[in-house]
Amino acid sequence: MAMTATAAPGERIARRRHAAFVWALPALVLILLFFVTPVLGLLLRSVTEPTLGLQNYAELIGTGTYARIFANTFLVAGVVTALSVVIGYPVAWALAVLPRPWGQLVFAIIILSMWTNLLARTYAWMVLLQRTGVINKTLMGLGVIDQPLALVNNLVGVTIGMTYIMLPFVILPLVGVLRAIDPAILRAGALCGANSWQCFTRILLPLSLPGIAAGALMVFVMALGYYVTPALLGGTANMMLAEMVAQFVQSLVNWGMGGAAAFVLLVVTLALYAVQLRFFGAGRIG
Amino acid sequence: MLLDFDRLGPWKWVLITITTLVCLFLLLPIVFIAALSFGSSQWLIFPPPGWTTRWYGELFADPRWLQSAFTSLKIAAIVTVLSVGIGFLAALSLNRGSFAGREVLRALFLTPMILPVVVLAVALYAFFLRIGLNGTTLGFIIAHLLIALPFSIISIGSALEGFDKSIEDAAILCGASPWEARLRVTVPAISHGLFGAAVFSFLASWDEVVLAIFMASPTLQTLPVKIWATLRQDLTPVIAAASTLLILFTMLLMIIAALVRRGSKQGTKP
Repeated sequence: MAMTATAAPGERIARRRHAAFVWALPALVLILLFFVTPVLGLLLRSVTEPTLGLQNYAELIGTGTYARIFANTFLVAGVVTALSVVIGYPVAWALAVLPRPWGQLVFAIIILSMWTNLLARTYAWMVLLQRTGVINKTLMGLGVIDQPLALVNNLVGVTIGMTYIMLPFVILPLVGVLRAIDPAILRAGALCGANSWQCFTRILLPLSLPGIAAGALMVFVMALGYYVTPALLGGTANMMLAEMVAQFVQSLVNWGMGGAAAFVLLVVTLALYAVQLRFFGAGRIG
Repeated sequence: MLLDFDRLGPWKWVLITITTLVCLFLLLPIVFIAALSFGSSQWLIFPPPGWTTRWYGELFADPRWLQSAFTSLKIAAIVTVLSVGIGFLAALSLNRGSFAGREVLRALFLTPMILPVVVLAVALYAFFLRIGLNGTTLGFIIAHLLIALPFSIISIGSALEGFDKSIEDAAILCGASPWEARLRVTVPAISHGLFGAAVFSFLASWDEVVLAIFMASPTLQTLPVKIWATLRQDLTPVIAAASTLLILFTMLLMIIAALVRRGSKQGTKP
């Protein structure tokens, strides 16, 4: 009697470790039913419509128009990634060392821009970048240009708008990486006679490289599948991959091609994500 | 040296200059939108020739704007409750369970976050067309729940990791039932994680555009869908007014979040 009374709670604790699986069931059912099933269903349609086979993929790879869309997508994603890293690195560095009130201010500005509604930000850029917009007017007023530059409805606009959106995703994780570097290593470098440029290129930059690579990869993956900003700032002549997927389904009602394009996007994303997991650990994704 | 602000040397001014420029770049669209929403120019000329509240008047005079805002709010509120509830159970399961395939499950739960939204949107659109959920509130809720859930699981999961489970075990050894212990000991201790989950889930649904475009019907639109549809027609200043209100709403949420964080820090101090 006394023995069962003392054993019961301990047993209960041990038993619920295995029973814990049950608690994941609501989430699991939701994901299997409304995520896994629809995505697999879409991919299935890419090889069954209009007839069974890989003709959709053949068309996707063999057509010049689609090849240009792939090229556009990778070009924009690459340039946006490069710009975000080059501009974001000094800001992350400053955030890691700035005295408290200033650091907090910069931090608040970054969070505010990140949390501002995506459509509001994109709308702002559409207005700012248009032919009669502030940027063109200012540049003409300063005498830098005579004719307004075409900044929207092309890849320049997409690149500006997307760099704006992606910057925080490079800066925020990098701050953590830079703060984690032991300042003593830099002091040691200086004591051994390295000047400040050498300290930067041979110590700080190499030590922050894993953070840069992880951030860059994340931004690249996000940029590849981005829909809203390219659709609004790019115009129809400069389509990107995500728009192509939407276009096949919405305007052309071609589920086979839509599924195939979605599959390509999915595979590229998951492959790059696997690289990220393999080399940088789970890290921060959101 | 390079990580000490006062001893940065020449780097100091380089960093300050670039950071200032980037901050201006980040603020430019936000300030600009707010200014234009009060500008009298229909063509969004800047600086505006005069000031007016006409665009706010037009915004509130059109019932479709208010209706879509109400729809957004309703969907986001339901998604938040479901996401925190289901996310709490899932995070608890991943944190406490020792069953096989736990890591696979964790990866599966986070996949909707890394997958391009457009792929999910198109797939769900096809699926919902078949089962008749397209253009329904339930369809919206399910779609938004899928992308809100990973935020909940991450936020609650990291709070659970920072919580010493032996406190919960102690409560059980003292005679509490497992769920009593969880609800009365664990839940209050991880309340900051639950709050974070709620804020992120709400914003994930409230601001979501891509899924919403595919889920919407002419009679059921969320606010982002209404903005999107209007934007595709022309760049009317009414959108600037709507955007400004959205920005104010975001700032309010940020301030509340910051206050709660400060409050919870003070609360846990001995």
